[in-house]
Parts: sequence; C-alpha cells; structure tokens
Amino acid sequence: MEGARLPVEADRAVDAIRHADIVIGIPSYNNARTIAHVVQAVYAGLAKYFPQLTAVVINSDCGSTDDTRNAVLSAQVEDNHLMLVSTPLMNAHRLSFPYHGVPGKGSAFRLVFRMATNLHAKACAVVDSDLRSITPEWIDMLLRPILFADYDFVAPYYQRHTYDGTITNSIVYPLTRSLYGVRVRQPIGGEFGMSARLIARYVERDDWETDIARYGIDIWMTTVAIAEGFRVCQSFLGAKLHDTRDPSSDLSAMLQQVVGSVFMLMEEYQPVWQSKIGSEPAELFGFQFDVGLDPIRVNVDRMVQSFRRGCHELGEVWALALQPQTYADVRKLGRCVCAGDATFQMGDDLWTRVVLDYCCAYRKHPLFRGHLLQSLTPLYLGRVASFVRENESFESDEVEQKIERLCISFENLKPYLKAQWNDEARFHAVEREVGDTAQ
Amino acid sequence: MIETLRTILEGALERLHNHITTYLPAILAALTLMLSAWLIAWIARWLLYRIIKGKAIDRFLRQSGLAFMHGSGRLRATKMVAESVYWGILFTGLLMGINVFNTDLTTQIIQSFVFLLPKLAMAGLILLGGVWLSQYLGRSMLVWAVNEDFPSPRRLAVVVRIMIMFVAVVVAAYQLEFARPVFLTAFILVAGGAVLTVSMAVASGLRTELRRYFDKKGEDAAQSEERSLWSHL
Repeated sequence: MEGARLPVEADRAVDAIRHADIVIGIPSYNNARTIAHVVQAVYAGLAKYFPQLTAVVINSDCGSTDDTRNAVLSAQVEDNHLMLVSTPLMNAHRLSFPYHGVPGKGSAFRLVFRMATNLHAKACAVVDSDLRSITPEWIDMLLRPILFADYDFVAPYYQRHTYDGTITNSIVYPLTRSLYGVRVRQPIGGEFGMSARLIARYVERDDWETDIARYGIDIWMTTVAIAEGFRVCQSFLGAKLHDTRDPSSDLSAMLQQVVGSVFMLMEEYQPVWQSKIGSEPAELFGFQFDVGLDPIRVNVDRMVQSFRRGCHELGEVWALALQPQTYADVRKLGRCVCAGDATFQMGDDLWTRVVLDYCCAYRKHPLFRGHLLQSLTPLYLGRVASFVRENESFESDEVEQKIERLCISFENLKPYLKAQWNDEARFHAVEREVGDTAQ
Repeated sequence: MIETLRTILEGALERLHNHITTYLPAILAALTLMLSAWLIAWIARWLLYRIIKGKAIDRFLRQSGLAFMHGSGRLRATKMVAESVYWGILFTGLLMGINVFNTDLTTQIIQSFVFLLPKLAMAGLILLGGVWLSQYLGRSMLVWAVNEDFPSPRRLAVVVRIMIMFVAVVVAAYQLEFARPVFLTAFILVAGGAVLTVSMAVASGLRTELRRYFDKKGEDAAQSEERSLWSHL
C-alpha cells in the first residue's frame, strides 16, 4: 500500500500551497520530447480561461530516465503572446514528483487525486504527456462544465483517424455503452475533467492496487462516474494526435489491463448494468469542426498472421472461454484464414458474442483470468484486421456508422449476456431464442 | 498297509478340517467386512452425490486452478468428496478384513501402511501441486508464446508441463523413499541431458534460428516505427 501515502515532498508542497481551485495532472514516463508543449498549453489554458482561479500543475512521473521532470520544470511559459483579456491573479504552481507503488498511469493519477483532495480543489483535469495536438482550449473544455455547469465528469470527444483507438472502438465503447446505457464516445481517451466530489470518491476506493494502477485507470474513472450516478458529459477537443509509439509493444498487457478492468467493474456494478436497457447520448459541449488527420499505416498481414496462430495454437483455451456456438464460428473463420482467404470477415454479431462470452468466462473462472484475458489478443487482432480491410475505402463518417452498428449489436445481445452471466440453464434457453430470432 | 493308508488319509482330512475350521471363519469374516465396506462406500457415495452441492468449493477449485487438473477444467467438489469417501471406506474395509487373520504378516502389512500413510499423503500433495503448477505454467507459456510470435508454442507448453511433472514425480518418490537412487539418477540424467541438448542446439542450428527470430522481431519493430501514429487505446 505504498501508493496510498503521498511522497514527503508532495506533502511538503501541499503544506506550502494549502489551497488551489484547479489541479491539472500530467502523468509521464520518458516523455521529455513532448511534455514541455503539454505544460505550455496547460499554462496558457489556465491563464487565458481561468485567470481568477488558483491552480497547480502536477507532473506525476514514473522514474523517467530522459529528464522528463526537468523538461516540465524548465518549460518556458510566456503569456505576453496569448493576448489575455484578464491578467491572472497569480501564476499556477508547477510541481513534479516521482510516484511510488505499482508503476503505471493509474498510480500517477492516484498521486494527483490525493494532492487535489488535500488542496481542496474544486476541479481537476488530467492530460496525457505525449499529446501533440493539445491546445489551451482543451483545459477550458475539460474544466468549464465542472466549474460552471455542475458536471462531475467530463470525457473527451475527439476526431481520430478511422483506425485509431481500436480497443476503444471495438470493445470498450460498445461494451460500456450497452452496459451502463450512456454513450461516452471516448471512455478511455486519456484526458478528463472531474469535480471535487468525484475525486473524493476515487480516492476513497480501495482497488488502486489492481490493473487500475496501470492502463485500466481510464475506463475505471469513466465507469465509476457513470455507474455511481455522477453527472457526466463530453467536450469536443478537436483532433487527437500523440507522439509516435510502437503500437504492438505491450499490446497483450494493455488489452489485459483495460478489458480486465471493464470485466472487474462489471462484477461490482452488476445491479446497475443489469437494470439498464438501451442507451442515451451524454451531453456534448464544444463547437465541432472537421480536422485533417495524418494517415495511419496498419500492417494487416501481421494481424491476420497473429489470428491464424491463435486459431492453430489456442484452441484449448478458446474452447473454455467461448460458448460452443461462438467457438464453432471462430474455428470456421480460422479455417478460412488458414486456407488463405484474404477476404475473411469477423462480423459484428460474432465479435459481440466473443466479447460477451469473455465477460462471462471472466466471471465464471473456467480458467485463470490472466490466461483468459491474454488469449483475447489474437481474436482482437483478427477483428481489427477484418475491420481495417472492410473499411479501407470508407470515409470516417461511414466508419462511424459501422461502429454505431456494432454498438447496436452489443445492445441487442445484452439479454444473451445477462442470461449467461446469471444462470447457465436460463442462458441455454435464451441462446436458442436468440438463435431462432437470428434465423 | 490299508491301516497305514487309512491313518494318512485321516490325518490329511483332519489337517484339512483343522485348516478349514481355523481359517474359514476368518475368511468369511474378512469377506463380510469387505463386502460391508463396499456396500457402505457405495451408499455413502450415492448419498454424497445427492447431498453435496459444493458451489463454494467449486468456486475455490476454479479460482485456485485445481479444477484444471481435469483436462476440461470441470473438476467438481461433489465428485472429489464422494469419490474420496468411497475409496477411503473401501480401503479401510480391506485393511479391517486383512486384520481379521491376526497373523504376523497381516499385522506387519497394516503397520507398514499406517506408517506410510503420512508419506503417502505428502507425496499426493506434491503430485497435486505439480499437476497444478504444470497446468498453470504450461498454459502461461502457450499464451505468451502465441502473443509473442514465438515458434512452436504448443510444443513449448508441453515441454514445460512434462518437466514440471517429472520434477514433481521425483520429489514425490523421494518423499516415499521409493527407488530414490533410480529417480535421482533419472532426474540428473534428464536435467543434464536437457542442458547438454540446449547447449548443442545453441551451438549448431538453434543459434541461427534464434538469430533469425530476433532479426524478424527487429524488422517488425522497425516497421512498426513507420506506422507508429496508430494507438490501440
């Protein structure tokens, strides 16, 4: 429980500053290349939009070796070019601490949230440290609904490339939306605004030592806010462009942590999601505009190869994780891929059943949860490959419509999920019913 | 002559009679005990299958991974308890049946068994742990190797399972003091052989294979640099 305590220097900083209206958190790990730009944008945003409020910018670092913390503390912020209407009462404090405990984004946020609570902040926002497209307006859009419209949680709403955010588009958004009945388009976006009430709730929870401490933090924050009835909205932030990274590095761990967190929260909030039917859009603030996005190259062949390997090797695991019909359909698809069918498609219905079967397998423990979640990676890559091939020639609006259709598929199959989740006997009756309807 | 023959026959018949009167009641008693034990064991098993639901134990078996010792992962508490009780009663009946004879040999058998029981239990636990560990690590290796694009994931998983089970069997045999030198020698031979095989493989072909694998990983990483604006999250 090392992460439960604030580092000594953070405690000292809280004692010295005592109070801040706004706290901005920036988690980092070896982001010296981009973090100065993020700090400048945050400072400009605070000076331009909240000049009457006191603020603290906290960089919570995971032991970077590339001088990230120095980049934060030495970033030049000149507000004489910002054409400010009001002069800020005082400059925002700038702090940078290494956090303790489990290494990961969640632990970094924990430090920020605890400091925000101790500083009695009215609002808190977090932004990623690898952003290239952040502007001062992001700070306004993330904090204004909290400070002036009584919202508790502001999720980002970006324009992204059609292939960008595939875990979001193919699993987290459709599943969260169908479960909790609120359409938050970027539930794991990375940039959020939160009220003091919600921060206090986050801090008092006791699941910080789980996957929440790592990549699971974003979906955890969104789910807690929605499921516990906090007021949730979205803000349009424009394009999301981040620093270059290797998309295949840590994919399996990333998927395990994010999806594992969704499933873990499903167990906790079972009474909430079981009573929800359909979904409603969350309020969206901000003026929407089209943005030109950099093209993204995706290596489909590599993903197909991974799916093919999964079909060859992971049969014993998938057979335990998936329902017999779903497994039979996956095997059929696997045979097509192994036979060299380049046009294979993992349709919405099959993919939805795969994800929902994994939800129930996570609950029922037919095998270790770690193995279960890691075995999802080849299936996920198969779905992404199928999605990319299917949408190669489509515009982003058309792709968005397809994602919408996937979400509807998740919503339609919610009775299948509930039946399987609650009772195996009842599940088989519903499965037959769903099968009959499909025919 | 006839008198001698009659005496011998009468002596033989008397000895047979003596043997029968000495051992038959004991044999009958032993058979009755064993039959009763089998009957009680059968009834106990029948009842236990109907009485015990064991959902909490089933959950524990799944969560601890013990359920996976049965290949399908469907090992159930009811079955475990019922079968353990069945075989326990049956075995106790067998020992009681043997004890009826009250000879030096039977007493020695029972004493040996009673002394062996704790070692048997410990060896059983070691084997159980070995099975659990081999299942867990074998599957970990399988999933990891698939996700990391490592060659022959299933074979690697099988190797891991066999190695762990082999170690468990050696330790269990050592615990039972059963053919210690044989198992120890076998273990040393296998372990030494494995090290030697790996060394020779690395020295010859495997080194090239590994280089090829890591080169491919390097190429993939280089390729991914080109498309690195893509984020899964």
